[in-house]
Amino acid sequence: MHIPDGFLAPTITLPAYAVAAPLWIWAGRKHFGPNQIEALPAVGALTAVAFVLQTIMIPLPGGTSTHLVGASLLALVRGPLVAFVCESLVLVIQALFFGAGGITVLGVNALAMGLLGPLAAWLVMKPLGRRVPGIGAFVAGYVGLQVSTLAVALTLGLQHFLDPGQLPTPLAVVLAAMMAPSLLVTGLIEALYTLFAFRVLVRVRGRNTG
Amino acid sequence: MKLRARTSRFVLLAWLVACFAFSALTNLAWLAGSIAGVAIVFPRQAPRAARRALLTAVPLSLTILLLTWAHARFVLHVFPDLHAYAALALRAALIAFATFAVLGRVDLLGALAPWPTLSRLVVITLAQIHALRLLARESWLGLQSRLPRKPAVLDGLANAGGVTATMLTLSARNAREISDALRSRGF
Repeated sequence: MHIPDGFLAPTITLPAYAVAAPLWIWAGRKHFGPNQIEALPAVGALTAVAFVLQTIMIPLPGGTSTHLVGASLLALVRGPLVAFVCESLVLVIQALFFGAGGITVLGVNALAMGLLGPLAAWLVMKPLGRRVPGIGAFVAGYVGLQVSTLAVALTLGLQHFLDPGQLPTPLAVVLAAMMAPSLLVTGLIEALYTLFAFRVLVRVRGRNTG
Repeated sequence: MKLRARTSRFVLLAWLVACFAFSALTNLAWLAGSIAGVAIVFPRQAPRAARRALLTAVPLSLTILLLTWAHARFVLHVFPDLHAYAALALRAALIAFATFAVLGRVDLLGALAPWPTLSRLVVITLAQIHALRLLARESWLGLQSRLPRKPAVLDGLANAGGVTATMLTLSARNAREISDALRSRGF
């Protein structure tokens, strides 16, 4: 889902960095805190989990497959700021070692996939989580992915609007190409996955505490 | 041979600035010249970096561009200007090529040494990724062997949910062990 390097001009990527950087610092201070010995391994471990989640391929009918994002689940389990930090680190590792996404678009991707989506999922789960946690997790997973996809599509549309020479793909095409599969297939898959994982986690926690 | 930590830091900074500059290029001649420039600056790393860029960045950008071109040609019934498409494909390839060439030359962990928090975080994350990937793969193979038929989407999702819970539990334990190990080494 994330935007590759070269698709966005510095007119968008630099302001995105300017918005993301203070959030990274704030989230880092809040979660790394004074006791880095405790926080660092936890963040590193969660980042590794988030990274591996995105490599789990779910086969789809027709011989194709899709992969999970898992940022919404991280937000439900650990909060949106932890999800933002972990997803940002995942994006850095993917950009540097696997050629996915990119370093110039890191700010945009981190805000879209690491902050807006997980934040939306967390906000959805807040009122639903106490009454109907299963439905809450399902809806949160679905909404989180849609918000992330929409943010990415709108950013690409904005780039086309600002300079069609930089990105010749108009917003209508981007929206159709990204939102249709997201609304119909990947959103449902992410929602079901969030529901299954959340249920297992609740069960494991209940067993550990009870 | 990898560069020294101090030189690596300068190269990484120059690479970051260059990537942003590359991302603003729309002229085909400038883009082609920049690709040649990167190949000249990093002659040893160029073949491997080019192969990696061709395998990772180029297929994705080409697919997106072909879709857009087909939409313009067959839905809007216009002949799109190919210049912008070629520039976009070249730009994506150039940045990936430069990234892989630079990373093949610099000592990344050495360059990160002045920021111990960051380097520790990178090491901890990378160290766990391999083990967790192995766990996910083995779990998928286990699911395949348990089922008499090919796993359906729902089977895959339920299995992924279970794997995630296992990974989160395992990662919490790993985190505790790593923090104890760090403390015992005087960090």
